[in-house]
Amino acid sequence: MRELDPLLHSQLRLAIMSLLLSVEEADFVYLKEKTEATAGNLSVQLEKLDTAGYIQVTKEFVGKKTRTSCRITDTGKKALEDYIDALREYINL
Amino acid sequence: MEEKKMTEKESLELVSRMIQATRQNLVKGSGNYFLVYGYTALVLSIAIYALFYVTGNTLWSIGWFLMFLPMSVIAFRKKKNKPLVVTYTDGMVKKVWQVIGSLFSLTIFVMLVLMFIAGKCDFVLMLPLSLLYAGIGTAITGLVIKESCLVYGSFVGFVFAVYMLMSYTLNGGTEMIWNLYFGLSLTVMMVVPGHVLNNKIEKL
Repeated sequence: MRELDPLLHSQLRLAIMSLLLSVEEADFVYLKEKTEATAGNLSVQLEKLDTAGYIQVTKEFVGKKTRTSCRITDTGKKALEDYIDALREYINL
Repeated sequence: MEEKKMTEKESLELVSRMIQATRQNLVKGSGNYFLVYGYTALVLSIAIYALFYVTGNTLWSIGWFLMFLPMSVIAFRKKKNKPLVVTYTDGMVKKVWQVIGSLFSLTIFVMLVLMFIAGKCDFVLMLPLSLLYAGIGTAITGLVIKESCLVYGSFVGFVFAVYMLMSYTLNGGTEMIWNLYFGLSLTVMMVVPGHVLNNKIEKL
């Protein structure tokens, strides 16, 4: 049995990765809305995924406000694919 | 979302739920792009035809260049209000319209070059060509976002475009009534579907 990626085997991080898999780019506000997470927790988890190279976080100024947008990287896509394959093995799908 | 230990089954369910949550690709105001271009075309078509009717001067056709105005307004507003999410569908639709936009620019460029070489040019020909380009863009957008009124509406544009081109070859010239045909086509192709789209989104 393959070991489950500990970085992805967390509810919020897995939710973020699944959301980002289906879109080209998502704003911090969108991720917060869909995951119903607190801003603080979401920031921490995004940073962990960014550090691992699973997602790419871009911060920019739009007018006077800062905008944080995220997109999944190829490494992230591969990691999520492997994670889902491993899950299927566990539950014999 | 709280952090808790998940079973393998719960993990798979979460992945599936989150992917499903991104499926709604129609956002508030999706129909506005069509409305802006459709209404601009309608107003211009009536104004240009009326000005020609009163003055008899075909140079009023130059007013069609005002169709580029909504493009700049939309680009400025988009820069100010970036969307919260860009789906792959949004990305594809954007690329389709980038190709259509390039076709417009390329056609105008070729017409200008020919004008300098031949010394004359009939810009009114842009009307049927624009109907074909915009019709293709609208039909593809309709197919991608699964909105049939965009697909069927664009057929009206195709019919008028072919009629204009046929009439150009048969009668050997352009006609000012084309301005009204263009306005009518864009009303069916963009104004009606634009309102339908916005109404559908309101009901979601």
